[in-house]
Amino acid sequence: MSVIDVLFRVDSICKKYEKYDFDKQRELNASADDAFSRLYAAVESDIDAALHKSTMASMEKNRASVVAMNAEIRRTKARLMEEVLKLQKLALKKVKGLSKEELATRSDLVLALPERIKAIPDGTATAAKQTGGWGASASNGKIKFDSDGHFDSEFFQQTGESSQFREEYEMRKMKQDQGLDIISEGLDTLKNLAHDMNEELDRQVPLIDEIDTKVDKATADLKRTNVRLKETVTKIRSSQNFCIDIILLCIILGIASYLYNILK
Amino acid sequence: MAGSDPEKLIAKADKLTKLSLTRWSADWKSATVLYEQAGNGFRLAKNCEKAKIAFEKASKGQEMLSSPWDAAKHMESAASLAKELGNWNEVADFYRRASELYNECGRSQPASDALTKGARVLEDAAPDEAIQLYTDACAILEEDGKEQMAFDLYRAATSVYIKLEKYTDAATFLLRWGLAADKCNATYSQCKAYLSAIIVYLYAHDFKQAEKCYNDCSQIVTFFSSDQNRCASKLLAGYTEGDVEEIKRVAQSSTVSNLDHVIIRLARKLPTGDVSAMKSDAANGQETLDEDDLT
Repeated sequence: MSVIDVLFRVDSICKKYEKYDFDKQRELNASADDAFSRLYAAVESDIDAALHKSTMASMEKNRASVVAMNAEIRRTKARLMEEVLKLQKLALKKVKGLSKEELATRSDLVLALPERIKAIPDGTATAAKQTGGWGASASNGKIKFDSDGHFDSEFFQQTGESSQFREEYEMRKMKQDQGLDIISEGLDTLKNLAHDMNEELDRQVPLIDEIDTKVDKATADLKRTNVRLKETVTKIRSSQNFCIDIILLCIILGIASYLYNILK
Repeated sequence: MAGSDPEKLIAKADKLTKLSLTRWSADWKSATVLYEQAGNGFRLAKNCEKAKIAFEKASKGQEMLSSPWDAAKHMESAASLAKELGNWNEVADFYRRASELYNECGRSQPASDALTKGARVLEDAAPDEAIQLYTDACAILEEDGKEQMAFDLYRAATSVYIKLEKYTDAATFLLRWGLAADKCNATYSQCKAYLSAIIVYLYAHDFKQAEKCYNDCSQIVTFFSSDQNRCASKLLAGYTEGDVEEIKRVAQSSTVSNLDHVIIRLARKLPTGDVSAMKSDAANGQETLDEDDLT
């Protein structure tokens, strides 16, 4: 087993049996009646928890939970920044049993806190990597309106690509507008034609009704005439006439065959 | 008999119809037949004068035989021959007589058709008479409830008025057209007629009339909710503001291009005259209106 392994094992064992560590407990108890140390300890534990959560978030696969965790981290950071202000006030207060050097160190510690809080990764740092071209100030999770100079510089950097895109967008929009104008003119013409056709058809409806009645009358007349014609024809073709027809036909055939025989 | 000389036929027919000592009653039947044949013969021989007379007499014969339909048909033939001769008065008379005969038959459509034919012939020669004929034709159709058929007549009459530059008459006629369209629920034609009337008034520099016309027409619901109404309001707004570009743009728009081509020609020529003068008129008009409101 290497030294490092030993160290790790020792650390984990100590953490496990912390409550039996008298020195540490005394230290914690000692700071129980000191508001500053109490608050300071609370802030430190919060920072540790936030760091832990951020490591969890970076390992998380599900994007929604990543987002939720990052939001929580950001909220914690904001709260902690407020607490830092309180700590600053407390740091200046004189507490009994505290040396002058310790007072100075306290204020230093308080000053160091905001940077530590800001350094907690909360997802905006990773987002900065994704959108190309963002400057370093993007790692700040807070929204800034009308902010300082380097916001402008990164804005400028962006329009290098996006201005071209915007131009193309405008061109395409203009072409679409032209096309739509042409379509609208065509539709106007169609509407006019359709209306006129509508009125023309309305005009022709009564005319066609008239034609309908007249044609009905004509067909009825025709039917009647046909029936009468049929009667007349059948009368003509009665059986009596039919026999006479056959006899005459036979006579003619006889004469023809006689002539044929003579000529042959 | 068909091959004989038409002159002889006429002479024979005349003899049949003239009353004398030997003849107590005229034989119209055979006379009419002879007259028809003579007329056809003369027409083939391109003798318009004699043919016309023959057809006149044939028509009279048919009347005597109490068949107004045939009489009217002969009258029309006589009229077309008169047109070839260029006797415009006779043309008008003949067509009117034909129309009356058709009316006797109870057929209004052929009656108005006869008048329309006459009007079309007389458009160039005697336009006032033509307009009269058109108006009468429209009246006949409207009496019979066939307003739909009258639209073409209204269009033709309007174009004649505009050719004669009688713009107020044209606009009035267009409003009558709108009324006819209203009766037969032809909303599109109605709106187009009203828009055309407004354009005609504007062309004639009569801005007040145009506005009055527009106000009257806006009372009508079908016109109020139509494209033509929007177009008219834009046009009038252009006039009140004296904006020539706006007026030109509206005149080029598709709504105006769907109107009758005579009206389109007028619209393209807008604005005529001094638009700014109209603008000041309109402004004055508005001031008086405000005073009235205060009182």
